[in-house]
Amino acid sequence: MKYNIYNQIKNEKSLSGKLNVVRYDKNLRKIILQIIFSFFLLYFLYYLVTRSFNLDLGLSHLSSRAGFGISHQFLTDYTSNDSRWDAYFIGLVNTIRVSIVGIAFATILGILMGLARLSKNFLLNKISTAYVEIIRNTPLLVQLIFWQLALLQLPQISNALTFGELSVWSNRGILLPYVNSLQNGELWVLCLLIGLIISLVIRSYASKHKEENVNFFSPSIIAISVFILIAVSTYVILGVELYADIPHLTQNQYGTYIQSGGFTLTPEFATVLFSLVLYTGTFITEIVRGSIQSLPKGQTEAAKALGLNNYQTTTLIILPQALRSIIPPLTNQYLNLTKNSSLSVAVAYPEVFMVSRTIMNNSGHALPMLALILSTFLTLSLIISLFMNILNRQITRIGA
Amino acid sequence: MNFRNKYILGVTLALSVFAIFACSTETEVEVIKEVEVIKEVMVDAPSTLATVLERDLLKCGVNDNLTGFGVVNSDGEFAGFDIDFCKAVAAAILGDSSKVEYVPLTASARFEALAAEEIDLLIRNTTWTSSRDRDLGNDFTVTTFYDGQGIMVKASSGYDSVESMTGATVCVLQGTTTELNLDDRFTGAGIPYTPLTFETNDPLQAAYEEGRCDGWTTDKSGLASKRAGFENPDDHVVLAETLSKEPLGPLTRDNDSEFYDVVQWVVFGMMQAEESGISSTNVADMAASPADPGMARLLGVGFDGGEPSDFSFGIPVDFMQKVISQVGNYGEVYDKHLTPLGLTRDGSLNALWTEGGLIYSPPFR
Repeated sequence: MKYNIYNQIKNEKSLSGKLNVVRYDKNLRKIILQIIFSFFLLYFLYYLVTRSFNLDLGLSHLSSRAGFGISHQFLTDYTSNDSRWDAYFIGLVNTIRVSIVGIAFATILGILMGLARLSKNFLLNKISTAYVEIIRNTPLLVQLIFWQLALLQLPQISNALTFGELSVWSNRGILLPYVNSLQNGELWVLCLLIGLIISLVIRSYASKHKEENVNFFSPSIIAISVFILIAVSTYVILGVELYADIPHLTQNQYGTYIQSGGFTLTPEFATVLFSLVLYTGTFITEIVRGSIQSLPKGQTEAAKALGLNNYQTTTLIILPQALRSIIPPLTNQYLNLTKNSSLSVAVAYPEVFMVSRTIMNNSGHALPMLALILSTFLTLSLIISLFMNILNRQITRIGA
Repeated sequence: MNFRNKYILGVTLALSVFAIFACSTETEVEVIKEVEVIKEVMVDAPSTLATVLERDLLKCGVNDNLTGFGVVNSDGEFAGFDIDFCKAVAAAILGDSSKVEYVPLTASARFEALAAEEIDLLIRNTTWTSSRDRDLGNDFTVTTFYDGQGIMVKASSGYDSVESMTGATVCVLQGTTTELNLDDRFTGAGIPYTPLTFETNDPLQAAYEEGRCDGWTTDKSGLASKRAGFENPDDHVVLAETLSKEPLGPLTRDNDSEFYDVVQWVVFGMMQAEESGISSTNVADMAASPADPGMARLLGVGFDGGEPSDFSFGIPVDFMQKVISQVGNYGEVYDKHLTPLGLTRDGSLNALWTEGGLIYSPPFR
């Protein structure tokens, strides 16, 4: 075997004989090639590292005063006196915000359009086909700029549309009535989310229990009552006190229009959201269509034979099976959407890339900032992949 | 792979790492040598003046999209305030103001283009700052235009000062000093405002025109230039307040004294010509019979039958005659390109020093 190489080399008398052993031994040749390759790889890495030591790669400049304002803030209270780190986090929050909302809407749009593409209804089918073919085949950046210019065509703020004093529409933003709270509103929403997760977990345990004890309470009723209990108790403890927040448009003493109250959908956020949802939606549409078409026709026929109607066939038979082949490519689209959100630098939406570039320009430390941006997007992508992989495992396990 | 294989691989890797570190001291020596070689080359390199004379063409880095300063006009030719200073330098060195190759540059590419010798001279509404002068290896010659950041608003809005813009939305280019100056002014005075930051000018202009923002801030020259391009310039007002100092002027590479001096004194000569009352229309008469010795020295002619004085710039002694006859004096260039934009000269920093401004030439002597 290969350990005899050493003995072989030892036994060969002449130098050329020894070299021939080395030349013709397959395993030894592989090892030598790998050593040479790793040498060059290590040398290259060493070169990069030593070069970078000559540059100032620290992120310490991020602790200094930012000195610039940011137009879009969500749940935060940033001023230009805060540090560059704070500015960076505002950008990160804006990226995450547009990505999460975008992913949710793109998924809904994609599934609906995917079903419409397979529909026998002529109009639905053609609308869906046109949507996919037009939007998928044009560049995203162009779409972003198109939406930006389109939204600027809304009335100017001096002629803003008000719908019965309930909503204000202008190209400064669309203000919608909103439910707001006196205090701890965000915390309560968080409690509701945690409560939802807890009740779902309880439900799954309860249904397992019910399989063995048929006379047990209905799992859904248990889960709902747990959820209501959590919601009501935290509402009272936190003193939330909800009220209807109606948007107002006023003018201050200098004549500047001030928008207040309600939920504001700014044109910049709307531009980015619309473009990302519409663009990513086309790909999800095609994924949904492809996955459904890959199912054997017998599934639909069997469902029909059992007397299920169209809605039941879709939701009970087709989609659950299609979901298995939908999830992996869907993960790709979620990652694309998150990464594409960095294009919003073109339309004045201050997401993490834009804010980081401003910091980069102000501080002159381009390389560490770029490294920070790259690791930020890497982390976001890995988190999305992780969640989708967990989901995928759950779905492939069911009925396996 | 079993234990022994791993062992062999480990030892080899360790050896190669050691070898790399052993080599590294040599590389440092090499780097030092390289730096020395570069220094020698720099010393031996011909001055830009010699290069321009030999090439018989001046390469000038300019803006091609700023009305009044540097823009391609409807005839496809470069025109503007900055462009005329390129022409003046070409006229001085080569005797012909048309021997210029204009290289349009973006704001971010301009300094690299100069450092890489793609251009000889950069005249692209560039602000003179300490970091640009020192860190970036440039030399600023003279300030040709004293600019400053301003805010443009719609006339119908009724804004008349920064204080009156409480709560307003202001459009600004992202990552610029303008953005920082804006925040210094508003936050410093405790005035709430919303900055809307754009990466490029076109969407910013669209947003301003459609009323997405109440104000647009950039250099006043840029605002005047954009305002002149609007359908109804009178619907827009540039507020009187100046938020920052932005002196604009031509710049050359560091350590290029001969060329630097020529550029500097051509600009000074144009300012002096205006002060002495020499313009493109009367320069020939003035050269034929200069009114005083100072004028004779400027135009490179003898006074009262004497010898013309030579300042040893390495170019013909009568260079200012060519500059003034082909391009004009400072005032003529200003009136031609900037006055139509509404950039009033009287009472501004750009008036002659004799009229209370900062346009001042050291003596030609």
